[in-house]
Amino acid sequence: MVKKAHFITGKGGVGKSLISAVLARYLSQYEQNRKDKILLAELNEHSFFQDYLNLKRISYKPINWVSGVDISQWSPQECLKEYALHLLKVETLYKLFFENPVSRSLIQVAPGLEELALLGKVTSSPRSHGPAMSYDQLVIDSFATGHFLSLFRAPAAMAEAIQFGPMGEQSRGIDQWIRNPEFTHLHIVTLAEELPITEAIELYQTLKSEFGLVAHIYLNKMTGLTKSDLEKLKPDVAEVMTALIENEKMAVKKLMDAKIKFIELPLINSLESNTLINELALVLENKKVRP
Amino acid sequence: MIKITAQTKTLIFIGTGGVGKTTLAASMGVGFASQGKKVLVLTIDPSKRLAQALGIQMDGDPHKVFLGKNNSGGELWACVVNHQKTFEYFIRHAASQFSEGKKVSEEKLAQLLDNKLYHQLSGRLSGSQEFTSLITLNRYVTSGEYDLVILDTPPSQHTWNFLRAPEKISALFNEGIAKWFREADGVSTSLLKKIVNIGTSQVLKALELLTGSQFIKELSAFFQAIQKWQRPLEEYILNCHRLLISAQTEFVLVTALDPSRLIEAQKLSREIRTQGYKLTTVVINRVPAWLSTKISTDSPRVQNLISYYQGLENDLQERLTQFKNQLKVYKCYELRQNTEDVASLQKNFDELVSLN
Repeated sequence: MVKKAHFITGKGGVGKSLISAVLARYLSQYEQNRKDKILLAELNEHSFFQDYLNLKRISYKPINWVSGVDISQWSPQECLKEYALHLLKVETLYKLFFENPVSRSLIQVAPGLEELALLGKVTSSPRSHGPAMSYDQLVIDSFATGHFLSLFRAPAAMAEAIQFGPMGEQSRGIDQWIRNPEFTHLHIVTLAEELPITEAIELYQTLKSEFGLVAHIYLNKMTGLTKSDLEKLKPDVAEVMTALIENEKMAVKKLMDAKIKFIELPLINSLESNTLINELALVLENKKVRP
Repeated sequence: MIKITAQTKTLIFIGTGGVGKTTLAASMGVGFASQGKKVLVLTIDPSKRLAQALGIQMDGDPHKVFLGKNNSGGELWACVVNHQKTFEYFIRHAASQFSEGKKVSEEKLAQLLDNKLYHQLSGRLSGSQEFTSLITLNRYVTSGEYDLVILDTPPSQHTWNFLRAPEKISALFNEGIAKWFREADGVSTSLLKKIVNIGTSQVLKALELLTGSQFIKELSAFFQAIQKWQRPLEEYILNCHRLLISAQTEFVLVTALDPSRLIEAQKLSREIRTQGYKLTTVVINRVPAWLSTKISTDSPRVQNLISYYQGLENDLQERLTQFKNQLKVYKCYELRQNTEDVASLQKNFDELVSLN
């Protein structure tokens, strides 16, 4: 039974996928509920984790990554297929529907259907609707800011457009659960640069006012440099690093001015994915982050 | 140095989010305009700073950018793609093509523009942003008003979303699918047709079971509304696809100094070339310039940072050989982020064209 769903979002290129993996690892390793089974789900069309974590083929069917964490890749089509099979129960009817090229393309373009399929899958446990999932928490490596907002707005928009019938009913149910702060946990990743920071703050405020959800913010890749570190450096290098320091100060100030709590994550000097993930998970533990 | 061929009329910047596509596209626009071309830059979501620098207006129309002193005769225009307006343009354009000069029936148009599903398609929901930027691109390239149109693609997870937009959306206007819904409400009467339609009605029943009858109603209303203009709509989408694979269209792949990004870029460049798109240039953006100099420091934090970037650089060197086989790869140093004026964009361009 899924008790919590964590969504990771932020501007493109801030490290959403990495932080998703870190969070999944952290939740399985350090949280008090250590026995929890975690599913890390990516919504990418082409799997990111397969190469990044050096795993065998990642697909819709979860595969094990580390102890307590499985990984799968969710496409809207597969989510819908699974749900339809569950609901229609008749294999032939389902085949007729899904193996028909026309309906396949219909599913792809029917507005809102893909979003509903994804969020329907996420909220299937608490809604007791659809096939059961044997995980306690979901960590979803989601879309970047704009696309993420459309994803979250889809159920309400659909419920408004289609008020009657199963579709309207489902849309309302999904909308209710993604607004439930006990169930839905949002994580915004950002960098100490102007564009990502501005975008993160706007997204935080939008999510708060529109959905009543308070997101966790992660300020990624902080160097923690200070002026004193720059002594003896050649002027051109010092200039670049001064800009870095200024950016980090700016980011912290902007977040504090907006009265937003955030978690600083240090720049880890490694390109090896498992080292990165383990060290960052340790940082979350030391900071006693309780998502 | 980065250059485009003389015949190129369309330049498309692709790559994952956060790699600096927009700044690069704007810099190229300023640069080519200063060389005497009439250039249009299309963008989706410009930063406030860039919007200010170029005097961009968000109304979805091209506006001329003031370039300061410019004796080349070139012009720079900038346009932010407006989702809703573009969709309406698309429908109206197709409708007018169809009526061949006769007045388009506003009533028929209103039927479609008021459809709830059309609203969602053109409005709040995602997925069709790629499509509208493609329509806008096609619109201005075919207008013949510009020597060069530069497109900054939407920040999607994967460039495939953009390249497959025509294919995906054309399914919506596909004859087969529309027929389905038009005949769903029992208009068709012939016995033979009824027999043929049994399979279809089974499928519709399944769909109805999943979604409810109201959804089906809206869908069939939607398809009935577009029925008239289906051919020209489909034709337009086909033209969009033709534009992408045209010999006058060049792609520039932008990526960043990061192993996972580079792997993605490598895969993408391989695939995109086999699909027949003209990708010649890869820009690895935001490489710290100071990496090339030797740095001595006592600070462990600075040391840490340097060794981190050194690691990235070494990783890049290993990959470059594979990349360079078929493509021109440029390492681009951190460009001015504070692009508050046209002059700094011009400087960016000068640096870009002098890259090796």
